Amino acid sequence: MIVIQNARLRTVLRYIIPFVLIPAAVILSAVVFEGQRYLIVSLGIAALALLLFMTGFERKNIGSRRMVITAIMTALAVFGRFIPLFKPITAICVMTAVYLGAQAGFLCGALSVLISNIWFGQGPWTPFQMLAFGLIGLFAGYLSRFLLKHSLLLILYGVLSGAAYSLIMDVWTVLWYAGGFEWKLYLSAILSAVPFTALYAVSNVVFLLLLKKPVGNKLQRIKIKYGV
Amino acid sequence: MKCFEQLNPFAVAVYYLCVLGLIMFSMNPLLLAIALLTSVLSAVLTGTANGRAHLFSAIVFLVAAVLNPLFVHKGVTVLFYLNDRPFTLEAAVYGLSAACMLTAALYRLRELSRVLSSDKVLYLFGRFSPKLALLLSMTIRYVHLLRVRYRKIQDSQKALGLYDDGNLIDAVRGRARVLSILITWTLENGIVTAESMESRGWGTARRTSYAVYRVHAYDALFMFVCAALTALTAVGVYHSEVVFYPVLDMDLLSPWGIAGAGAFTLLSVLPLTINGTEAIRWRISISKI
Repeated sequence: MIVIQNARLRTVLRYIIPFVLIPAAVILSAVVFEGQRYLIVSLGIAALALLLFMTGFERKNIGSRRMVITAIMTALAVFGRFIPLFKPITAICVMTAVYLGAQAGFLCGALSVLISNIWFGQGPWTPFQMLAFGLIGLFAGYLSRFLLKHSLLLILYGVLSGAAYSLIMDVWTVLWYAGGFEWKLYLSAILSAVPFTALYAVSNVVFLLLLKKPVGNKLQRIKIKYGV
Repeated sequence: MKCFEQLNPFAVAVYYLCVLGLIMFSMNPLLLAIALLTSVLSAVLTGTANGRAHLFSAIVFLVAAVLNPLFVHKGVTVLFYLNDRPFTLEAAVYGLSAACMLTAALYRLRELSRVLSSDKVLYLFGRFSPKLALLLSMTIRYVHLLRVRYRKIQDSQKALGLYDDGNLIDAVRGRARVLSILITWTLENGIVTAESMESRGWGTARRTSYAVYRVHAYDALFMFVCAALTALTAVGVYHSEVVFYPVLDMDLLSPWGIAGAGAFTLLSVLPLTINGTEAIRWRISISKI
């Protein structure tokens, strides 16, 4: 794995990629390309997410190990998306982020969407989903200390991330439907998506509580044993 | 010649880019009807979609076709009133066209994911970012590997008598145990993979691809035909512009319109034609002695 040697560059990239570059690419894909080049944009986002991931470590062998573990967690998330109705994708991204770092969480979220959409259908919505799950993972990584300590906060994070996912995806709905952004349409889209939001929130909480101890212990063990 | 699936991945990608682009960009009812018919035909002939997929597409089609005239009341030709809201011909035609577009695009995307298998996708995007290509291929492989390992663990647990499907609680606990073993095994194994990659010098040089696809003369010819037919269709669509609201104004059967529709039909059935010709040549070449 390539290591970004310059510490300052690493810090700059760490914030500029998830909060400026990737959102810009997502908006660009919806507004400028009108959703036509979504596959190229999605791959671009994945490449950026990988670059972001590279800002998360300073030693080469740690990078390779962490990448393989992230790939496995991503595969688990994809595997879990085949469960009907309840999707563990958020829970797995959060676990990855909490134990392997915020950047790994972003990569896990973005990649699991990109890869599972091979089976569930790629489309102009893919970049938005990648951003949504990526950010859910990223913030879980930032808040990892608190999330690990209190189960209540973890539950709260599950609920909030379900809501956040809906809010981000409804931006896409409005842009796709109206060709521009309108607050009225956005509000009505949010209201009409309430049942789905509730379902996301519930499945997030259920899977977070289910996976917290077993998966957490295993990741912690790998972390201590190999210094990932 | 080779069959369509064996063409250079780049040529295949170009073909689907052309077809999907035309389907998504043009709101020409004739073109979209052709698109739907040909994509269904090719899905049936190549066996891309099973019964459930056809049912799903039919539902998408119906919903998309009905939604527009129910909610949009633009247009002057009122067919009938529903709850005091006008149901107009223009909105109905627009809805049908949009439904054709959506369904045809769904069929074509499904076909695309069958023809462009993951190794071909990696070949296409490996040059774009080799690291990303490796990560994607590794994850896709793990998805399959997890399934295989899950079954292996399940079988061994069953053989040990630890697993009983008759009792619900037992079944759930057994499944949780299998998952737990699966995760431990795969994570531990992943570290071995990482060490192995590291010691073999991963990331020190350019990555090469297992499958090497060359651009042969017929790939070039295929791409040229695709581009020519797409250009002709685009010109035809441009010259026979369709206005839906307020009054339906379309001249679908103008010379340009017919030329465009003809070119699009040829483009849509190009893979079927290639595979059909190959099948006939194969039949003829069989020795009758």
